[in-house]
Amino acid sequence: MSWQTFILHVFTYGILLYSLLLLICYILIGSFSISETRTYLNKNSFTDYRVLASSTEAPSISVLAPAYNEGATIIENVRSLLSLHYNNLEVIIINDGSKDDTLEKLINAYDLFKVDFFVNEQLPTKPVKGVYKSHNPVYRKLIVVDKENGGKADALNVGVNVAQNNYYVCIDVDCVLEQDALLKLAKPFLENTTQRVIAAGGVVRIANSCQIEGGRLVKVNLAKQFLPRVQTLEYIRAFLLSRMAWTRLNGLLLISGAFGAFDRDIVIKCGGYNPNTVGEDMELVVRMRRYMEERNEPYRVSFIPDPLCWTEAPSTFKILGRQRNRWTRGTIETLRIHKKMFFNPRYGLLGMLSYPYWLFFEFLAPIIEFVGTIGLIIYCLTGPVNWSLFMIMLGVLSIGILYSIFAIMMEVLTYNQYRNKKDILRLVLVAVLEPIVFHPFVVWSAIRGNIDLLRKRNSWGEMTRQGFVTEKKAQ
Amino acid sequence: MKILVAEDDQLMLKMLEFRLKKDGHEVIVTHDGREALEKINDFQPDLVITDIMMPYLSGLEIIGAVKKKYPTGTPVIILSGMGQENVVMEAFQLGADDYITKPFSPNELSVRVRRFDMSIVK
Amino acid sequence: MGTLFHFLPINLLAITAFLPNALIIKLHYQAIVILFIICLMIALLTYMLFYMYFKSKHEKKHVKWRIISDLLIRKAVFYDDDDEEAETLIPVTKRAEKLMRNKHFRALLTAEILSAKKNITGTSAENLIHLYQQLNLEKYALKNLKSRYWYIKAKAIQELTVMEMKEFQTLLYPFTNNHNELVRMEAQTAIVQFQGFEGLRFLDIIIYPISDWQQIKLLQQLSNVPPVYIDIDGWLKSANSSVVVFALKLARNYHRFELHDLILSCLDHPNPEVRLQAIHCLCEMYTDETSDQLISRFLKESFRHQLAMIKAMQNIGSEKDILFLLSLLDDDNHEMKLSAARALASIGKSGLTSLQDHVKSAGYPLNEILMQIKGELAA
Repeated sequence: MSWQTFILHVFTYGILLYSLLLLICYILIGSFSISETRTYLNKNSFTDYRVLASSTEAPSISVLAPAYNEGATIIENVRSLLSLHYNNLEVIIINDGSKDDTLEKLINAYDLFKVDFFVNEQLPTKPVKGVYKSHNPVYRKLIVVDKENGGKADALNVGVNVAQNNYYVCIDVDCVLEQDALLKLAKPFLENTTQRVIAAGGVVRIANSCQIEGGRLVKVNLAKQFLPRVQTLEYIRAFLLSRMAWTRLNGLLLISGAFGAFDRDIVIKCGGYNPNTVGEDMELVVRMRRYMEERNEPYRVSFIPDPLCWTEAPSTFKILGRQRNRWTRGTIETLRIHKKMFFNPRYGLLGMLSYPYWLFFEFLAPIIEFVGTIGLIIYCLTGPVNWSLFMIMLGVLSIGILYSIFAIMMEVLTYNQYRNKKDILRLVLVAVLEPIVFHPFVVWSAIRGNIDLLRKRNSWGEMTRQGFVTEKKAQ
Repeated sequence: MKILVAEDDQLMLKMLEFRLKKDGHEVIVTHDGREALEKINDFQPDLVITDIMMPYLSGLEIIGAVKKKYPTGTPVIILSGMGQENVVMEAFQLGADDYITKPFSPNELSVRVRRFDMSIVK
Repeated sequence: MGTLFHFLPINLLAITAFLPNALIIKLHYQAIVILFIICLMIALLTYMLFYMYFKSKHEKKHVKWRIISDLLIRKAVFYDDDDEEAETLIPVTKRAEKLMRNKHFRALLTAEILSAKKNITGTSAENLIHLYQQLNLEKYALKNLKSRYWYIKAKAIQELTVMEMKEFQTLLYPFTNNHNELVRMEAQTAIVQFQGFEGLRFLDIIIYPISDWQQIKLLQQLSNVPPVYIDIDGWLKSANSSVVVFALKLARNYHRFELHDLILSCLDHPNPEVRLQAIHCLCEMYTDETSDQLISRFLKESFRHQLAMIKAMQNIGSEKDILFLLSLLDDDNHEMKLSAARALASIGKSGLTSLQDHVKSAGYPLNEILMQIKGELAA
């Protein structure tokens, strides 16, 4: 055997092993998700969440909503936040140095005045310019913080500093929440008797083409455009299957920045959001987990599958590409910051399973796929016609589609948001088209993210912060 | 008496409507806060019975709106599952005229409503 | 951002190009595998569509059924028993009676009755119970009680609880220490519903922890019954920490001042949650020595507990604590400073003056803290 064939064999067997492992992961994720979802639904089928709304013992929650140039919709959005069903609540809007009239609009609409407020800078942030409260007792839950522009992570850190309550829920101000969202999100923190629940995530669903009135979701529709529609499928797959499965293992690494609840105490002890990464939401959860592991305190990151938070998905390739580019960079940065945990038994499941999974199947997957595809194209152009190759291609494709259809089935059997049978068929069609039309673009965006990061590494210091409006639109 | 009832639970709403109609009142029903405000403007009820936790607008905001529009008349009764001291106090501070906590007795509600019926008082 | 946004890499296929011949599966086997996968897809899809078909058919029926059941419930709620004759029946239409044989209709009706019952008290509520019994719905609940699935069991217990089926309480009592958490929770709630404070006896024997959620539910349940004097002492000494925490909450909510010393002893409990709850409890029921007791333990405690103590001092602090609180103004932590300053301000004029006279009160951060506190006092 020549050394060329030897290398070729190592390479092919390596990829074969990788693919088989991934396939096994898919099967495991599917089955874990089924059992976790079933337990959750059975457990909560007769839960009366109103008990929490009417109890004096309910934990106190601060809602943190950073806003940047949201003048057009801010009043409506704040109103819907104030109408959330929860008593022991404060709603903190952080105006991150908006250049438009966001603050003025809030002051006028909610009759705000500047109060003397000592902002305890437990987390270092850009300076706070003022804290506002309302003269009107109906809006006593509302606090508006005006600060200098510093990006989303910085705005959230200010929110954490200002917040007085034990837990906080961070949300994107343009998300549409169900009114009982907080009641449901608070429950995991109260249920556990042996582990401390440090964070709880919720599902994010796609709101494109849905009917929204006065900051409230009136009717769920399947997105009409192709891009949001594929993302609907992606989100179902990611939230209903993957996150549920990881929750069962207590290995969840990511809570969406658009909707999640955190133990404020632990967040402060960990040092809050990292303003130097674009993936601040993932980085924080990983850091919190690491903190708990290092202290050997039993803990849990919880997740609830109810569709409670709806958001507009990017509908152009340009914005979507930017979003995926950023997600990739966020993932890599997070993995890099916490590389110490890689196969480190000290970090238990976190180090031995969650971290390697993210490294191999989230970070490396697009790279391997990209390289593989190029190799394949070269082979096809130069080699003889290979029917076996064609068949295997078809086989892999069909496994992927099967997995998507399985995800759609989970959605139908659980929350069934899309009532129309035609909509389900449309989703299935999208599942078939995705690997051909949509997926290569996602891979390419991820590769671009890698390249951007490699380039930026040389000029790390001058990372421009331009607020998060463009980024946020993409979340 | 013309009564507006705002309550987001359909079954409760139907029962309230039935009971109050039986007592001889004219009843306008709605299950969300925003519609309640519109109907208050359109129908000018003599009494408003409202839940607190409702879509769009909370009952507390409805009190404020009613008291602003009719500074003297139109009493508001809160009918809510929330019985916490701070909520009840807040409701009264905002100008609520009565506060009934769920679970409630329909008979009791009927009597309390009658208190506000000017035609009977006179 | 999320796990599994990535798809099974299609490059898996690239390997075949380089695979040694021995490993390449014969073409027709590959075709069989693909066919199998496609069949699976079609099976899942068909199942989904059938499921949706039956569900929507069901829902259309549900709309009709809901009208029937709502009518029935309304009739029951406003049923005037004018005849003064005992045990008059609530009129049930022939149609509803016939439907009662359908288990889906029964489930719907039961759910509607339960939701109405939760919102209503008085004669109307009693009428609802009559309706429930008249339709023999409790028989089905009792049957579900024997189910081997925990969630059906738990749901049945909840149903019997809401409908106040007191006669079955002996059946439910053993479930209070059931190994399944949900079953246990519902049974505990049931006993408290039936027996009020007396029902809390299960706390004597329970070996499992009571979650915060369950504590909230129990306290809610208790708030609906007239308070009765019960012996809490034993629970405050329980080996089960969650029972101690719950007992502390009871002591606070029902102002059991006579337990003050026992609660003080909980400040030395090994479990930090118990100590924290004890501080919260003392915050509402205190003597003039309570603050000394807190201060004496201050240095031994973790930051979280220290902060809770100082927050409690807002309620229980008095002039003799001023010196101690002033010393905390030099603490490194701003939150501690703020809480100490608030406590000082709440002591009254002497506290506030001593705060203003503090050497550092003109500099950051005390000046800003002072401003905020003055704003709070004015509000």
